[in-house]
Amino acid sequence: MKRKLLTLTLALLTLAAVSIPVFASASRRASQNELAIGIAQDFDSLDPDYMTAAGTKEILFNVFEGLVKPTSDGDIVPAVASDVQRSEDGLTYTFTLREGVLFHNGDPVTMDDVLYSITRRWNSDDAAAILPALAVIESVEADGETLVITLSEPSNEFLAAIMNAYIIPAGYTAQETAPIGTGPYRFVSREVQDSLVVERFPEYYGTPGHVDRITFRILEGADGLVLGLQSGALDLVAHLSSDQVIQLDPRDYDICEGSMNLVQALYLNNAAAPFDDIRVRQALCYAIDKREVLAKAFDGYGTPLGTSMFPSFSKYYDESLTDYYTPDLDKAHALLTEAGYPDGFEMTITVPSNYTPHVNTAVVLVELLKKAGIKATVQPVDWSTWLSDVYGARKFQSTITGLTSDNMTARKLLERFGSQVGNNFTNYSNEEYDAILAQALSASNDEEQTELYRALERNLTENAANVYIQDMADLVAVHKGLSGLTFYPIYVLDVSALYWES
Amino acid sequence: MKKKMNSYLLTGLIITGTFLLLALIGQFWTPYVPTDMAYGRFQAPTLSHPFGTDNFGRDILSRVMEGAGTTFFIALLTVSLGAVAGTAVGAVTGYFGGLLDDILMRLNDALTAFPSFLLALLIVSLIGPGKKLSVILALGLVFIPSFARVMRSAFASLRTANYVTGARLMGAGSSRILFVHLLPNTFKVFLPAFTIGFNNAVLAEASMSFLGIGVTPPDASLGYMLSEAQSMLRAAPWYAIFTGLTIVFLVFGVGLIGEGLQLMEGEEG
Amino acid sequence: MKDACLYILKRLFLLLATMILVSFLTFLAFRLVSGDPVRTMLGTEATAEQVEALRQELGLSDPFLLRYVHWLKGFFSRDLGVSYSYRQPVWDLISGKLTLSLLLSLLSFALIVAISIPAAIASYRFTGPISGWPRTILNQLGMAVPPFFTGILFSWVFGITLRLFTPGDFPGFQTDALASFIHLFFAACCLAIPRIAMTIRMMRSSLISEMNKTYVLTAISRGNDRKTVLRRHVLKNALVPVITFLGQTLAELVGAGIVVEQVLGLPGLGRFLVTSITHRDYPVVQAIVVILAFWVVLSSLLADLISQAIDPRLRTAALAKGGTA
Repeated sequence: MKRKLLTLTLALLTLAAVSIPVFASASRRASQNELAIGIAQDFDSLDPDYMTAAGTKEILFNVFEGLVKPTSDGDIVPAVASDVQRSEDGLTYTFTLREGVLFHNGDPVTMDDVLYSITRRWNSDDAAAILPALAVIESVEADGETLVITLSEPSNEFLAAIMNAYIIPAGYTAQETAPIGTGPYRFVSREVQDSLVVERFPEYYGTPGHVDRITFRILEGADGLVLGLQSGALDLVAHLSSDQVIQLDPRDYDICEGSMNLVQALYLNNAAAPFDDIRVRQALCYAIDKREVLAKAFDGYGTPLGTSMFPSFSKYYDESLTDYYTPDLDKAHALLTEAGYPDGFEMTITVPSNYTPHVNTAVVLVELLKKAGIKATVQPVDWSTWLSDVYGARKFQSTITGLTSDNMTARKLLERFGSQVGNNFTNYSNEEYDAILAQALSASNDEEQTELYRALERNLTENAANVYIQDMADLVAVHKGLSGLTFYPIYVLDVSALYWES
Repeated sequence: MKKKMNSYLLTGLIITGTFLLLALIGQFWTPYVPTDMAYGRFQAPTLSHPFGTDNFGRDILSRVMEGAGTTFFIALLTVSLGAVAGTAVGAVTGYFGGLLDDILMRLNDALTAFPSFLLALLIVSLIGPGKKLSVILALGLVFIPSFARVMRSAFASLRTANYVTGARLMGAGSSRILFVHLLPNTFKVFLPAFTIGFNNAVLAEASMSFLGIGVTPPDASLGYMLSEAQSMLRAAPWYAIFTGLTIVFLVFGVGLIGEGLQLMEGEEG
Repeated sequence: MKDACLYILKRLFLLLATMILVSFLTFLAFRLVSGDPVRTMLGTEATAEQVEALRQELGLSDPFLLRYVHWLKGFFSRDLGVSYSYRQPVWDLISGKLTLSLLLSLLSFALIVAISIPAAIASYRFTGPISGWPRTILNQLGMAVPPFFTGILFSWVFGITLRLFTPGDFPGFQTDALASFIHLFFAACCLAIPRIAMTIRMMRSSLISEMNKTYVLTAISRGNDRKTVLRRHVLKNALVPVITFLGQTLAELVGAGIVVEQVLGLPGLGRFLVTSITHRDYPVVQAIVVILAFWVVLSSLLADLISQAIDPRLRTAALAKGGTA
């Protein structure tokens, strides 16, 4: 046994050095019109009203739908509703229920189901199910096949919010174990921490999916997914790192590059010394070369950013802010001296240890800051601790994370920096910012709002609220022969578009 | 019985000595700055970088030299903590037995079942992250049960030995019997347990850095480097091979010392 | 006979006591660790009201001891509670994983026993080619190679190259029993290898020290065959410390499986435990830890009973204690 082990060690040394062709079993799945997709973390609740993990929403996008749904172009189109009318004053939305929409159990969707689904997320005793974004709703009324929703004030984000109120059968209580929605794929089975299986819903009202049966395999840990791809157990894996991608054989997998649609930054606690001083924050911005970060930790993938907005929101995105601070150690030093830190200072970067990209970014930042005389220490903490101590209690000096917008609006990215906002974990406090934010949120006109959003972005950059780094690249490994992968401006994986080339 | 040097002990001492020497040099001098990212990502070993470079373009040899010291230090301290506490528990429970034995062994079982991950989280929460003390404490506690169990049975099997009965008849007190008569005789059970524990500690430290205890990046330790390397096996096999071999080298050296000491005790006959 | 019953009864009582002790320690640990189950469940978008409401709903704002008593009550009425993150009964979530982890542990335990004991005897008896240096090097190497490294290695050699199993694709026993068994077999090997090396080492030492005892020397000097003495007398006695060690190995196997479960993509209990800890899913952690405690105590009980069956002196000592304690 021991001798065998020795032989094996030797075998590995030789094997690892030479590239091994992988004869994937993907061909078998292709012939049966099936698909295996690898995902890095388990689903939380399968009940659409309780799911909070981004990774769960990403996949169940294929199972559940709201009255309206997003497209890959960033538009919002009717789904369970066939038509949406917005009144002149922007206060009333009239939805017409689409005819012939069936739930996965075969029952037709009725107005009762719609009322039930929306009320649960807007105005019910179940706190965990409440969607805070629906608080603008004044009343919900059904009239035959139409649903009238009245708002207390006009809102440009309402449609994007109602998109997340998924339509489910009224009174159905088994969503957790046997979820039922209206999407192009229906739930088949689930084994916690192992897999989730869905199959094509043939009675889907819209364009149906191509692949008959899809297994989502949960493989935690960096190696699991790569091994799964190398062994041919998986046909598609999204959100890979550049270090994982280079381990794959280009003869078997194509690498598609999208964007994660998030703002990765060194977020600073603006209320804690020394980051309460704008000069120190600006010095950090001059000291950190974001392109260097991309080159060192991401193999050059990713889009550098200069503010809390990413390119997918092209309407709001102000590219000129990206290089507002050009890397300049002399300027950084001058600013630090002015602020009273001629010899630099010590700082801690708290990172959620389960996100390797953020940890790697922190490691590069330590090196870059060293050149500016700043001694940074990385402090990995587990995700739950990060959520409660950093994000919740705001007990941190600086942290690296990626902030997203889970619906199709830019509002979430900017609103969080208002000084009175509950999730402003960076404690950014700027009177001018608050004033523009108030104006922007109440703006009735889209053009005006866009201008105000851009002003907010500029404010964040000029005041060096945080050290903005990048919108991370979304690297997807797709098996040869599999087509139809489409990137969305939000975090979803649309499996109904995927198909095997015959 | 004359104790004489043997080839295992000698080789073990040479290997471990070389290792320690390199680790010691690594604390003051390394060929390159261990955190410097200037040497190109995933460069295969060359004359100027004998161990190649990692995903950030850092020189692996320099990192191995720096990390070796940290690893040795942490592993030795954790195992010693586990060994001392475990031996104490084992001695008391094995020799005296009775109610104390029941209570301590129940606690011991509870500690075996208690997830080490949760224990480490607990200690980080109490002591604070980023301290070497927390990893030593967390891992040291983890190692207590196995030592306690092994030592307990060693003490229990010896308590009825003739020379113990003899000592007792001659009026020796419990502590004298425990320390003077029994402890030296448990040495041959203790040694392999210590060697195995040392081996486990080297690797266990790596899993703890995940929680921000032990070493935190960009500092290096062998265990942490190996766990990093395993996810880059295909892109940079040399990373895993050289850190892995260094660990094997260290553990092997310590193992040989154990083997040699045991032989010196006259076991092989 | 009565004493024996009493002894078993006492051990069973201690088993229960350990489970309760460990559940209390876990409960206490969760009170002290940083991180918050409610925040972890609700993620970054939760409002303060939502956090508070959910805390109430889960009963997390109740006093600590009350919550523990509540849990204990549930435990004794065979209700392990509902998982926070999955919102499903804990037992439904873990039963399948428990079976898999038990199979993995038992399989690797069988490998350890089946290989190490004969190998140790052989290595003691044959002082030929694998004696001295080669033996020591092999043995030390076996102990030095970490299971996760073996796991990766096996995935490459047997999984990706030889295609004996597919890493990351455990089919499940209902779907494909043979493929599942092969997958499990390699995982068991990863777990077993270092422990086989340790057991051989242990068994060998034990044999050597036993063979040097006076009774053996006397027996041999009386003209008995060395082999016969070994088989008839020495083996039995030499096994006693090894059995204790094996009992401990069996106890540790379920927890130790986690690394291998992760590398080879097995949906086992160890992996679930770690994820649940990171999610602060207390009910799940609590249940798994109690199961592990049961397993640990049961393993050492088995080891003790077997040692006592072999060595009557231990039996007398244990019974004497069982009668009085």
